[in-house]
Amino acid sequence: MTDLSEGSLSIHRDTETGRDTFVTFDSAGVVTAFNGHVDLGTGIQTALAQIVAEEIDLPLERVQVILGDTARTPDQGPTIASETIQIAAVPLRAAAAQLRQELMRRGARRLNAPETGVELRDGVIHWKDTSVRLEALLEGRAESLPLELSTPVKAPSDYRIVGHKTARQDLPAKVTGTHTYIHDVDVAGMVHGHVIRPPYSGRDSGPFIGTSLIGWDETAVRDMPGFIAVVRDGDFLGVVATRADQAQAIADALPVQWRQPPEQVDLRDLRHAIRNQPATPRALDRSGDFDAGLADSDVSLSRTYVWPYHLHGSIGPSCAVADWNDGAPIVWSGSQNPHMLRGDLATLTGLPADQIDIRRYQAAGCYGRNCADDVCGDALLLARAIGRPVRVQLTRAQEHLWEPKGAAQLMDITGGLKDGALHAYSLDTWYPSNRGPNLALLLTGAVSPEPRPSDMGDRTTIPPYRIPHKRITVHDMAPIVRAAWMRGVSALPNTFAHESFIDEMAYEAGKDPVAFRLEHIEDARAADLIRRTADAAGWDARDTPRLRREGRMAYGSGFAYATYVHGPFPGTAAAAAAWVCDVAIDMETGEVTMTRVFVGQDQGLVINPDGVRHQIHGNINQTASRVLKEEVSFDEITVTPQSWATYPIMTFPEVPEIDTLLIERPEEPALGVGESAAVPSAAAIANAIFDATGVRMREAPFTPERMRDALGIAPRETMPPALPGRTPPRRRTRRKPRVLAMAAAIGGALTAGAVALPMARSIPASAAPGAGSFSSDLLERGAQVFATGNCATCHTAEGGVANAGGRPIETPFGTIYTTNLTPDRDTGLGGWSFTAFDRAMRKGISRDGHNLYPAFPYTSFARMSGEDMYALYGYLQTLPPVRAEVPTAQMVFPTNLRPTNAVWNALFHRPAELAPDPAQSDDWNRGRYLVEGAGHCSACHSPRNALGAEQTGAAALSGATIKGWFAPALAGSAAGARGWDADSLYSYLRDGVAPGRAAASGPMADVVASLAPVPDADIRAMATYLATLTEGTEVAAPEPVLPNAPDATHRLFESACATCHEPAIAGTVTAAHVPLGQSTAVRAPTPEGLETVIREGLVAPMTHDLRDMPAFGGELSDTQIESLGRYLRARYAPDLPAWE
Amino acid sequence: MTDVTTSLHLTVNGALRRLDVDPHRTLLDILRAELGLKGPKYGCGMAQCGACTVLVDGAPARACVMRAGKVGAREVTTLEGLADAETGALHPVQAAFVAEEGAQCGYCLNGLVMSAVALLRQDPNPDESLIRAALAHNLCRCGTHKEIVASVLHAARAMAAEASGQAATETGAMSE
Repeated sequence: MTDLSEGSLSIHRDTETGRDTFVTFDSAGVVTAFNGHVDLGTGIQTALAQIVAEEIDLPLERVQVILGDTARTPDQGPTIASETIQIAAVPLRAAAAQLRQELMRRGARRLNAPETGVELRDGVIHWKDTSVRLEALLEGRAESLPLELSTPVKAPSDYRIVGHKTARQDLPAKVTGTHTYIHDVDVAGMVHGHVIRPPYSGRDSGPFIGTSLIGWDETAVRDMPGFIAVVRDGDFLGVVATRADQAQAIADALPVQWRQPPEQVDLRDLRHAIRNQPATPRALDRSGDFDAGLADSDVSLSRTYVWPYHLHGSIGPSCAVADWNDGAPIVWSGSQNPHMLRGDLATLTGLPADQIDIRRYQAAGCYGRNCADDVCGDALLLARAIGRPVRVQLTRAQEHLWEPKGAAQLMDITGGLKDGALHAYSLDTWYPSNRGPNLALLLTGAVSPEPRPSDMGDRTTIPPYRIPHKRITVHDMAPIVRAAWMRGVSALPNTFAHESFIDEMAYEAGKDPVAFRLEHIEDARAADLIRRTADAAGWDARDTPRLRREGRMAYGSGFAYATYVHGPFPGTAAAAAAWVCDVAIDMETGEVTMTRVFVGQDQGLVINPDGVRHQIHGNINQTASRVLKEEVSFDEITVTPQSWATYPIMTFPEVPEIDTLLIERPEEPALGVGESAAVPSAAAIANAIFDATGVRMREAPFTPERMRDALGIAPRETMPPALPGRTPPRRRTRRKPRVLAMAAAIGGALTAGAVALPMARSIPASAAPGAGSFSSDLLERGAQVFATGNCATCHTAEGGVANAGGRPIETPFGTIYTTNLTPDRDTGLGGWSFTAFDRAMRKGISRDGHNLYPAFPYTSFARMSGEDMYALYGYLQTLPPVRAEVPTAQMVFPTNLRPTNAVWNALFHRPAELAPDPAQSDDWNRGRYLVEGAGHCSACHSPRNALGAEQTGAAALSGATIKGWFAPALAGSAAGARGWDADSLYSYLRDGVAPGRAAASGPMADVVASLAPVPDADIRAMATYLATLTEGTEVAAPEPVLPNAPDATHRLFESACATCHEPAIAGTVTAAHVPLGQSTAVRAPTPEGLETVIREGLVAPMTHDLRDMPAFGGELSDTQIESLGRYLRARYAPDLPAWE
Repeated sequence: MTDVTTSLHLTVNGALRRLDVDPHRTLLDILRAELGLKGPKYGCGMAQCGACTVLVDGAPARACVMRAGKVGAREVTTLEGLADAETGALHPVQAAFVAEEGAQCGYCLNGLVMSAVALLRQDPNPDESLIRAALAHNLCRCGTHKEIVASVLHAARAMAAEASGQAATETGAMSE
């Protein structure tokens, strides 16, 4: 903006709280318009600019629009109910017209012309051959005139900008990545907060709210990089760090204790859960005498409709920056309601509201009240505590769990027909939602957590039809879980009920549903919309469901209409919309596909036709998703979805073809279009399903499971095991360090550690030979042996010093800790002579005579040559010594008894060096030596007997599941079927990937990484040897088979897994290297290995092009993981039997 | 506990950048926090929504699940790197998204533009169903799918026209 002291002219309105300015014209010739609403990504900024430019007759590029900043814009309430154009723009338009009027008056005076004679073109006023620029009419000071709402505005017939295609002003910046979303705001000196939410995710009432935090241990995280502070206020807990990733790491590591939240109402059965909550009936329409009318009817029906909880599901989780600014806070926000937010933050901090400056930036589309305001409270609490600007970015899981949900809803309708016409009609509707009090207020106890009923269930409750006897009742009630408005608010579910019921009544009356509606509609505009939409969409009249079938597919079309009535009852009408939609239903799977939607809409004056159409398209696609796919799931305590995995939304291949009809009424006021086209959606789809199948769907979403149930299609499913809910809450196990499991895998059933009393003699401590006594060739060889044996992985603790041991390894027999391999005299191998080392490596006896547990693979190491053993010894003795005590193992009976291991050795251990096989090549013999000796491949790949010994003979290297990971067969026909040959084995061991065949993952990926220093010739030798162990010929992986009863698990796969395992674009760099059909875990004899990967994810070594995979153990229940495993088995290994 | 900081060399939008950072941080985090490239967006952190998509040697990558250290010597291109570096002219895919208004809130736009660029590199002439299939794992919550598909079709046409124009010029040059 230019300096207003050079002269400016504004139009304002004085209110009790101060002066609201609507428009300012400045000396740069630019008009700035101020509106208290915000752009939710709908292009409203462009539409408002059009309105202002139109009234002032300035080119669009000379109009800028400021939205939502509390210091600069009027308080016009939250940006809800599609009110911006319809209501909030009204004073703006008058102000723009007034500004023009004043400038024209001045211009005429300056040019000595009659006021009616001057013309304004492109910011210049003309009279005959004289002219003056508008900015020349400013008086060199900031002037402001009070708004005169009665100022005449332009006639729509004169519009040149409004009603015409106008390019979105924000797109060029958005498409180049330069638009500053709230997520992109950088404030000087800014640090980063990460909040830790209580375990009662998504709940907002009850005495435990704000009172459940028992304690936390800051000392556990104080030394972590970037640590600044832990901040607590009631149940609000957050950490602040220099960087965002540090803040998250600290939050994850902070030990926190919460009280166990009480169980909530069982939300699996919404019908009863909602009906049984406290509610207060409120009569909305009692015209006629419903009871008498119903008694008088020829036909009557009673129906119940159920609507699920939905997520707003913004694609960008909420974000904010706050600066305490010495008690005059500035909050950078993506709020939908900056002024309401300011009030909430005033309550939170005890500051006067006008001392808080909310600066509004665009966020991801919100479609209602999400966490955008909550995160501002979070940021402000943290900023106040540390005195620096703090940015808080919520995680996807936090947004999913805590956003105030789009509420579930229950609707009962009873109605009667008399002489084929609607005669009596009752609606009872329950909408457990309110305005979503700011979370920081609840968590800190600034507002009390009692149930807070609201009145928003009354939207669009009155059916738009002529019915003599009505009884319309809303049951006002508090939320059950945190809920607030979402696109279509209660009007969408209410209309689902109304328009489904009207459809049903039409068939009862033997009438075509469109004709039946037209018979009952009184409003001429509505009738015109219904008629024109049906005609344009090619509606085929019918008086009975047509049940059209082609093969397994059933086809139908449905109609629904609504005038969206918003605002407190009786409310205000926004645009009216009518839907005609076509569906195709797979009568074997129950899948509903919406093939085409035709929407007609009457919104009065159209400001920006493309903008209106885009709103219609958005409403169609989003509500189609809600109606066909979406529902929030719950367990006993909380909301469960933490990502799109368990809350799938509609994807590109699923969206319908869309056609629209805009009924243009330029002489009528502009009506809000942000939600109207959503409102008829559910009923239109349900009515189309009825036309196709004769089945009435009265509970959304219309998932394949519900469709199969309604249609009686086998397999009729009971509760699919993968449906979330009713599983014990899991401790978040985000990305459990996988290396630990790997170590355990290599360690095997029993493991290293001197835990038993000594059986053998002790070898006295003696100083190791000096480093100079080992030749460099020998040390290099030692390094290679060390790498071949992958010793470092097991002998390095998580976050500890390399090779200093101490990694805990849980075994079925107890927990042991790996030893310190560095030459520290007291805690490591510093006092070990070669004799002691050699004995340990070959016989499993520690220097002091303890038996080592045999999962320390001395049974393999015994086969190593003396030269290699000495080279390894030398290498270890030249490592930097590290003093590191290793904790004592805790073993269970009888493995803690001293004879056990000795007996074990006598039974299973054959300590002897490997003799070369003269019939084989040197390469082969070298390979066998490495595989069976230092490489100790059998430790993982050979199954073990009940006592933990590797099986030999035919069972050797035949594959095994070890500590949750599956190590596939290296020998026999199982390996042969996968087509391994020396070349592919070489690629695999060298690069981690045998293209098209396998990629190393989990523990094996670390083995490959460890092999990096091993010379190519040795890798080649191992491949040569391993190739000769395979038998038979390659068997191609079977083609995947899609499920015939798609369920929640199928949707989970498609939304969470397919992105990397069925990538949509070939060559996706983060996708899996090989298809799941090739996965050995999917083809393993048990699901354990597969479940481990799903639960723990993969963190691949940095050194190789091997890919990471996110861990799902924090989000999915054990039951869900098990179901997903079985699903993968059925889909990708259809030739194999299902797992037991 | 200490920061695992190493020297990381990343080629981003044609420039080699040396960064002293923890290579285990996600590429998305490094691009946004260290290089100020805010085009790629955080949406889910699980590779599910696509808002973070960048190109790595021309192929799409979900930057939220790729650790920066995993990039190696490969070249990263972000939304900011698509326009012509010299003239500032938008990439045809960007221009098409503006022309067809392929965004409402635009938060998912980065992923859709980057995915479309990758798709058209592989298949310059996809039909609508191919485009829909290629964008199957990019989520858009505003419901802008129709305009987005139109944008990709528009881009394909524009790129084909440009290519044939260039081919004509080249042919012309050769015949001279």
